[in-house]
Amino acid sequence: MLGSKKITINFIINDEKFNDITVPVRQHLGDFLRSIGLTGTHIGCEQGACGACTVELDGKAVRSCLILSSQINGSVIKTVEGLDDTLMKKVKEIFLKHNALQCGFCSSGMLITTKEILNKKKKLNREQIRTEISGNYCRCTGYQSIVDAIEEAIEDNIQGYLK
Amino acid sequence: MKSPDFCYYEALSIEDAIKFKSNDLEAVILAGGQSLIPALNMRLSSPSCLIDISKIKELKNITKDNNFIYIGSAVTHSEVMQNKFIIDHLPVLIDVLNMVAHPAIRNKGTHGGSIAYGDPAAELPAFVVAANAEIILMGLNGIRTIQASDFYHGLFETDIQDDEILTCIKYPILKNNQEILFDEIYRRHGDYAMAGVVANIEILNNKIDNLKLVFFATGTKPEVALKTSELIIKDGYDYSNVKNMIKNELDFESDLNSNAEMKLHLATILTNKVLKLMET
Repeated sequence: MLGSKKITINFIINDEKFNDITVPVRQHLGDFLRSIGLTGTHIGCEQGACGACTVELDGKAVRSCLILSSQINGSVIKTVEGLDDTLMKKVKEIFLKHNALQCGFCSSGMLITTKEILNKKKKLNREQIRTEISGNYCRCTGYQSIVDAIEEAIEDNIQGYLK
Repeated sequence: MKSPDFCYYEALSIEDAIKFKSNDLEAVILAGGQSLIPALNMRLSSPSCLIDISKIKELKNITKDNNFIYIGSAVTHSEVMQNKFIIDHLPVLIDVLNMVAHPAIRNKGTHGGSIAYGDPAAELPAFVVAANAEIILMGLNGIRTIQASDFYHGLFETDIQDDEILTCIKYPILKNNQEILFDEIYRRHGDYAMAGVVANIEILNNKIDNLKLVFFATGTKPEVALKTSELIIKDGYDYSNVKNMIKNELDFESDLNSNAEMKLHLATILTNKVLKLMET
């Protein structure tokens, strides 16, 4: 039959291989991740506006609510649970230091977005940082401290302190 | 907010996708899905099947010859922004794409997807019309090319036929005396505009020799202000007159974030802003 409602796929999440996993094609990636216990990825608006569900797919930040599980065949995914390298550990410490989270709902998306900002290895001013995180809502409105943290992370990364 | 039930089919080639689409008129094309999947999640649409074309290699190239740049429909916005041909020959497109949603959405959303979807408040449909681009479609009878200005019929309505798939967008390379300028007004960076303008301008002897003003987020589709453009070419640019000219030519439609009167006001301000840039 052409086209199917279930699909069997292979992928890697946080360095763990998943083979021959059958998923309903209409399920979005965010729901799938949470269904296997990776509940660090938060589902907010399910229309791409809030950024809480942002994960890394093949090295790029994407909205997990706007990707179907059926589309991730052969992909490498990183979620907030997998941000355990030295760089991201130090970034998390910087977030703590600046109190760049209150309720924590947006934090997983903010961290994945910060990772992508750091990958570009470019110095950004505060206004540019705000543009970069414009796709991530923080409803505690703690933007000031989040921008503080990202500003320090960018500077430290350029100086090589985050290795 | 979960999508309705549908089938999924990963197309292996353009021909394969065309065949599937022409056999199932309720099926829709999935490229990046950054507009389609929100629409599904909100149950605004319930297709029988999604035909995924995002992995078809022929749709993922950007090429160039002496006169044109060709962008494959499944190239993502992020890929367009990093492409050397675009950086060298059509840098204004990078400024435009910077306004299209947010980095995480541009990493997945595609050039052809945005143009085929035809959201009246989106930047790319107005850009292709202003840039005099051609839209290349493939169907059961082969390839068909249509001018971008003839492509949009109405609200989310385009000239794509049941058996056709948008495969490529063909942009003329700008002449030395030609420039495309773009501006928009928005509430939050990356949101749809409250009003926007794209102007394709040719300058000869310090005067506007040719002009095409295209507005978006003002009506049901990208709106070309042909008469206004002609009057500005003929009589020169007169600040005090712009609002009347635009008002006489275009019908503005209210939407959720601004009413028609406000959109007319914003369109006037934006026209003044881009034309002022030409004076300096």
